[in-house]
Amino acid sequence: MDITSRPLGRRDFLRGSLAAAALAATGSLAACATSGTGTTSQTSAPAGQVSDTNPFGVKSPSTVDAVIFKGGYGIDYAEFAGKQVEAKQQGVTVKVTPTTKVAQTLQPRFVAGNPPDVVDNSGAGLIGINTIRDQLAELTDVIEAKNYEGTVIKDTLYQGVTEPGTFDGKFIVLNYALTVYAIWYSASLFEQNGWTVPKTYDEMLTLGEKAKAKGKYLLGWGKEAATYYQTMAIGSAIKEGGDEVRLALDNLKPGCWSLPPIQDVFNGLKKIIDAGYMKPGGSGTVFTAAQAQWSEAEDFILYPSGGWIENEMKDQTKSGFKMTGAPEPTVTSNSKLPWEALHSAAGEGYIVPSQGKNVAGGKEFLRAMLSKDAAVNFAKTKLSSTIVKGTVPPDGFGSTALQSQIKMLEAAGSNIFSWTVLNPADLYGMNTDQLVVWNSFLSGDSDVAKLTKGLQDITDKVAKDPSIKKVQVS
Amino acid sequence: MTALSSGGLTSGVAPQGGVSSSGGLRRFGSARWRRRNLTFDKISFFLVFLIIPVAFYIAFVVSPFVQAAYFSLTDWTGFSPAMNFIGLSNYGKLFTDSTFLQAMGNNILMAIVVPIVTLGLAMFFATLVTVGGSARGNIRGLRSSSFYRVISFFPYVIPAIVIGLIWSQIYDPSAGLLNGILTRLGLDQFASFAWLGDPRTARWCVMFVIIWGLVGFYMVLFIAAIKGVPAEVFEAARIDGAGRFRTALSITIPLIRENVQTAFIYIGILALDAFVYMAALEPGGGPNNTTLVMAQELFTTAFTKGQFGYACAMGVVLALITLAYAGLIFAVNRIFGGKSEVGE
Repeated sequence: MDITSRPLGRRDFLRGSLAAAALAATGSLAACATSGTGTTSQTSAPAGQVSDTNPFGVKSPSTVDAVIFKGGYGIDYAEFAGKQVEAKQQGVTVKVTPTTKVAQTLQPRFVAGNPPDVVDNSGAGLIGINTIRDQLAELTDVIEAKNYEGTVIKDTLYQGVTEPGTFDGKFIVLNYALTVYAIWYSASLFEQNGWTVPKTYDEMLTLGEKAKAKGKYLLGWGKEAATYYQTMAIGSAIKEGGDEVRLALDNLKPGCWSLPPIQDVFNGLKKIIDAGYMKPGGSGTVFTAAQAQWSEAEDFILYPSGGWIENEMKDQTKSGFKMTGAPEPTVTSNSKLPWEALHSAAGEGYIVPSQGKNVAGGKEFLRAMLSKDAAVNFAKTKLSSTIVKGTVPPDGFGSTALQSQIKMLEAAGSNIFSWTVLNPADLYGMNTDQLVVWNSFLSGDSDVAKLTKGLQDITDKVAKDPSIKKVQVS
Repeated sequence: MTALSSGGLTSGVAPQGGVSSSGGLRRFGSARWRRRNLTFDKISFFLVFLIIPVAFYIAFVVSPFVQAAYFSLTDWTGFSPAMNFIGLSNYGKLFTDSTFLQAMGNNILMAIVVPIVTLGLAMFFATLVTVGGSARGNIRGLRSSSFYRVISFFPYVIPAIVIGLIWSQIYDPSAGLLNGILTRLGLDQFASFAWLGDPRTARWCVMFVIIWGLVGFYMVLFIAAIKGVPAEVFEAARIDGAGRFRTALSITIPLIRENVQTAFIYIGILALDAFVYMAALEPGGGPNNTTLVMAQELFTTAFTKGQFGYACAMGVVLALITLAYAGLIFAVNRIFGGKSEVGE
């Protein structure tokens, strides 16, 4: 076994190991592998006594394992709710774990059949609901239970908030934070210049000219948030064309992007872009930097976004910037839904995996969140309403944005709408592909026809893929 | 580790080695050999240096690969233990998926441009720093070359993700350093020009960042290799009248051939991955997906779209392309007269 006497063998070995090392260095392949599929433990915990104060029969003592997305809202509100559960249910402890990448963190636990009891499935790294919806508990009994004040929870919620979390008739995602989609502006800046909020795309175009005269752009965008314009466009199109538009998009109908109301909106936007009222360079700008150009530098004056914008830009907002929202514009003044109609869908999707060890505990946690103390705490500390009505005082805790959200909700009355597929759940994970198309449209490199074709191709690809389970929306 | 010394060694030992290796084989087969040699020392040596590492390698490298290859034949969503075997249809889908094919094209372009430019520059600087100095006296590099060596290594010390974030700020259309300088110079057409947002510039801008980050490392690698070549060789070439360029081409590169080959393989693998740089610079795949790389597409498919089976198929293809790339580099090296074996 003299080493130097066997050069060929050694070389073969080295050659083999180099090839193996090259393979190992690719890494991505190994990333696909699991840590082994564990045995599926069946839902276990013998139920506790069911009573009015314990509607789901949480066992005592038991632990509730809550995994909360740590994003713009932090996790302190969830810890607050956990304390509420512990105070109401003797012997129950709530363990709140933060995560920033929900899908990556929880994927092995779902595979092993050992998911947490309740999850805040939010953020850029959320789990596509479509892939796990068979593994989620129905939450209908949560909203039919009484809250800690003794009122049935269903009666305390804003209208339509359960719809985006209902798939094929099953209510499985409780979206907690009420999100109003609007176009945002500085009321103080508008007042100074005598501008009024545009209600149609033509009015936007006129306002763009006035803004230009003051050396400002009308609109702007950031590369990761180009699809905020898609959200606005769909909102406008649904106001114009009604449910027909919403159903076509939600059910991935062939040619859905060519419907006249959608085309009208696209054309309206294109006019604004062609007139040069869109701040150039957005497709190369990080979205928070772009948003600061609006809230701090006031380079542009209108920004379509969700109600989280105030909290997100808290540290980068000019003093005296009275952030105010207005409903998304309509195409014409005789649209099917009035201008006041509001696109509102809740975010922060809470789910209770049916294979969790303490399903009843997970539901009890949601019951605490939907009770008064926790909901008011959320509104107060996050300056954002939950889906529970009446938790925000008229002064909006001093926030103009929150005030205007509540005003818009009141003005809209029963004309509140949302949709399922594209936002907020992004059910089929199409956002990444759509961003590409929208970035080139907003930067003026493509036209309405290209935008329509691009979006239709993305939609058709999902519609035709038999491996993706579809949700039928009605 | 130089070609010279290893060449000498091999030519001296090879014939002898051929004979004794066949003899060794015969001895290995005999019962006497086994009895005499399986001492505790030998067994414990095998255990510590062979069996345990191989077991680890199989458990943590080979088995995940095999598992991933199997998953690529299923429709696994990634979030449940259930999956159906669907044969090769993921691969069929892959080669009609225009987005993935575009990502593959982007990767291949990067695997061509990034290694050639980076290693070319690295070789140029390494030559200047080691043998490119004064034509009189000893063979040496430029004045204060050790200073340049340190400076050029700086970018490599910064983690890739930080490099990406720094450059995404530099490229910012409105507040970025690059456009700031260009507009200050009077080039007003670059005001608000989106370097990372324009399909004409995006891919070159990200490649520039990768090259900027890596030149220093490969330069240091080449310097070490050139230092291993005896100075007499360069002196002899100079006496024969070879200029600096001719010396680099005919003396330096052939003598550090094995290092260049290894460098090509490393940097090629990096260019075929490039995930970290892209995550910072172009998380969305860039304008018209011109900077989308396979690893990004794989990640989105797995975690956002919940199609782990399909993502595994992408991983397998990526691994095969990487292997093919390494094979290609070996082949090119052999065609141009290098020994096909790894350096000793």
